[in-house]
Amino acid sequence: MLLAVVVVSALAFDFTNGFHDTANAMATSIATGALRPRVAVALSAVLNFVGAFLSLKVAATIATGIVDSGAITLTVVFAGLLGGLSWNLLTWYFGIPSSSSHALIGGVVGATLIAAGASAVKGQAIVAKVLVPAVLAPVFAILVATLGTFLVYRITGGVPERFRARGFRLGQIGSASLVSLAHGTNDAQKTMGVITLALVANHTIGGRDGTPTWVIAACATSIALGTYIGGWRVIRTLGKGLTEIETPQGFAAEGSSAAVILAASHFGLPLSTTHVCSGSIMGAGLGKRLAEVRWRVAGRMATAWLLTLPAAALTGAAAWKGAALIGGTGGVATVFAVAALLFGALFLAASREPVTHRNVNAEWTGTLAPAPTKEHAS
Amino acid sequence: MSPYIDLDALWKVLVAGLVAGAGLVAVYALGLAVLAAARTGPSAHPGGIAIAVVCFGAVLAGAGLGLYVMLAK
Repeated sequence: MLLAVVVVSALAFDFTNGFHDTANAMATSIATGALRPRVAVALSAVLNFVGAFLSLKVAATIATGIVDSGAITLTVVFAGLLGGLSWNLLTWYFGIPSSSSHALIGGVVGATLIAAGASAVKGQAIVAKVLVPAVLAPVFAILVATLGTFLVYRITGGVPERFRARGFRLGQIGSASLVSLAHGTNDAQKTMGVITLALVANHTIGGRDGTPTWVIAACATSIALGTYIGGWRVIRTLGKGLTEIETPQGFAAEGSSAAVILAASHFGLPLSTTHVCSGSIMGAGLGKRLAEVRWRVAGRMATAWLLTLPAAALTGAAAWKGAALIGGTGGVATVFAVAALLFGALFLAASREPVTHRNVNAEWTGTLAPAPTKEHAS
Repeated sequence: MSPYIDLDALWKVLVAGLVAGAGLVAVYALGLAVLAAARTGPSAHPGGIAIAVVCFGAVLAGAGLGLYVMLAK
């Protein structure tokens, strides 16, 4: 029973991971019209699904090395997931791209802190694996994308517009697909790792066993479903809110994201896909002469990134405490039910000011949800 | 090496990111520019098309290498 609740929470987290991060790969393609919105999310969903199956040697256990593995119980995993899940949904409501891995790590750290004390959390590992990369990822991506965008405009300045539009449209679709595939491979693994961790903690499988096939299939499916549902609010912020994007910029941004993500994954630097992609889009804005980056939007994003770890940790800690106070499986089930109610309320609030595939590209007037009169189908 | 920051991985990622991210993007743009010139110029330039093919091939190879290193882990 407890295990079932943990697995359901993990899959729910995986789902929000998908729909939060659709924007990373597809926001620029949607904003430039390289792909129609529904086609873009469908393509990204398929590639995420495929990506999830591709690299299975080690389902990276996200919390390993950051908290003492002896401190991890099913309730801690559950509370950590809830912390990550809450932060994902809250930032989605405000349309802010935010790292799902940081949210999950924050949740697990918070739950561990209150369950087992400060000694079970490895502070140095948090700095090295979470905080330093969080600062570096956007900086790297801004550098690469600014240079790439600058070069692209320099080189193709004299090219007739119809050539340019078609060529970069193709390039953009290709590079965005690469980002989607990499996302599926890296991010679905995190949830697989969490579920495997829970199965081991529950002695359902041995510590040396690999990830069961049903876990892989379930994770791939839920991240793909989430991607397909599409976090339109986040897509709108990244594609329209941060800067106005043209096709060559979109291509340079996705090329930069793909290169930095793949290089980071190869050299073992744990950069967040979200931070890289947001940085790339900013760089694409900076690299084109006179293009503006809306710094207020960028500032809100940076603030959210700073808050991710502590906010998810607080929620994770609260979830653990709540479950522990009531006690046993009933406690976990109660916390789960309360969380589900809160999430439902958030969805209801979001549906009052909806952002969908219809109005995602409406002109940015400073607010996330476009005014209904300005809505135009695309 | 500092325990807080992996400098070795850091500069490798930055260099690889710049070469692949900005470099290949520029090569693709170059291919496009050459192709456009060959197609719209007064006469056909087979050399231009060949250069464009080499450029696009290099970009594809780069993407393939990226996928390979990600999956080979």
